Amino acid sequence: METFKIKRIFSDNLGRNNPVFAQVLGICSTLAVTNVMKNTVVMCVGLIFVTGLSSLTVSLMREYIPSRIRMMVETLIIASYVIIVDIVLKAYLPDVSRQLGPYVGLIITNCIIMGRAEAFALSNPPGLSFLDGVVSGLGYSYVLLVIAFFRELLGSGSIWGFRVLGAWWTNWSIMVMAPGAFFMLAIFIWIVKGSLIKEEGGNNK
Amino acid sequence: MSREFFKNRIFPVLFMFVITLVFISVTTVIYTITKDTIKFNESLRLRRAILFAAGAAIPEDQDEIEKIIAKRVKEVKDDKGNTQYYIVYKEDLTAVNSYVIIKKGAGLWGTITMAVGFDGGIKSLRGVEVIDQNETPGLGGRISESWFKEQFRGKKSPFTKVAEGEPADENQFQAITGATFSSNAIMDILNTSSIDIKEIAGDSR
Repeated sequence: METFKIKRIFSDNLGRNNPVFAQVLGICSTLAVTNVMKNTVVMCVGLIFVTGLSSLTVSLMREYIPSRIRMMVETLIIASYVIIVDIVLKAYLPDVSRQLGPYVGLIITNCIIMGRAEAFALSNPPGLSFLDGVVSGLGYSYVLLVIAFFRELLGSGSIWGFRVLGAWWTNWSIMVMAPGAFFMLAIFIWIVKGSLIKEEGGNNK
Repeated sequence: MSREFFKNRIFPVLFMFVITLVFISVTTVIYTITKDTIKFNESLRLRRAILFAAGAAIPEDQDEIEKIIAKRVKEVKDDKGNTQYYIVYKEDLTAVNSYVIIKKGAGLWGTITMAVGFDGGIKSLRGVEVIDQNETPGLGGRISESWFKEQFRGKKSPFTKVAEGEPADENQFQAITGATFSSNAIMDILNTSSIDIKEIAGDSR
């Protein structure tokens, strides 16, 4: 039962029910931080931390939270963790914090975190909820990293800040701006969903 | 009846109150612990920026920076106690190496704060440093890249722009392709700083 659930957590969050390309959650940050890979990684680490810990906390308190105020409580928990991430970045990684600017604060509004708290943590034990939070954060992260990889490569001719394409390459400015993210995300969803649907069709016949 | 009333009305309020208190306390503690580090980071950043704009060498070691600041840099304040500009003396303290002014201007997404350093005769630029900016990463954000900042050393205002990659004479600088607004903002900041510094530091010499 336990192992089955753990397997489900991985296959759901990373594949079929991925928060970004299946549920299309967390798109605001997907558009905002994926133009340079470095920022994306910090955003992803922040999100994994917040989703994991807020799911854990919500799950620990799930027996006591009155159901009519549960969303307020969840928001409070999420906001506290995000503020902690923000403060810690400012104190120990000031350069990264400056680059991310307001985006760290915007983790609060990332629907994935609230979604996992509501859909999973409220009805599952703490250990599993923590794992679910972390894994759904990973599901979000790898999609963002793929998008960021192509946006930085095409938009700036570089990867992780290092120039990889020669002087002959003309940067596609649109890739650095928000519309580029829409294109990349759409192409990503198209490819992944296409292959998922094919798989399912094969199973049915 | 009264038990129901407590459960449905009073308990949720109490619960929310207590949990808010707990989480606010935790974040307050973390904030208090890191407050000094954050303040220190900010002042260190300002000091580095002043030295960079003055064209002085910046040591890696933080204590060394403190020493240089204490020995060679003088803060000039107006009657109300606000900082107007900084005087950076030559290493042997015989003459003024540079006048550095901290200037803010409107960027595309937020305020751009810069340290602008002029030579002792206030004729040409010693250097410029971007202290704070929220421009689009990969486009306007490139104002923080070193090729952009380094090009100003020895140049004279008032500035005009040339396209990125084109040769610029002493009154011109290379703008960033795809970031016209940010480039214009820099141009405005530099041009107004040179007018301001002549006004406030010009007569005191």
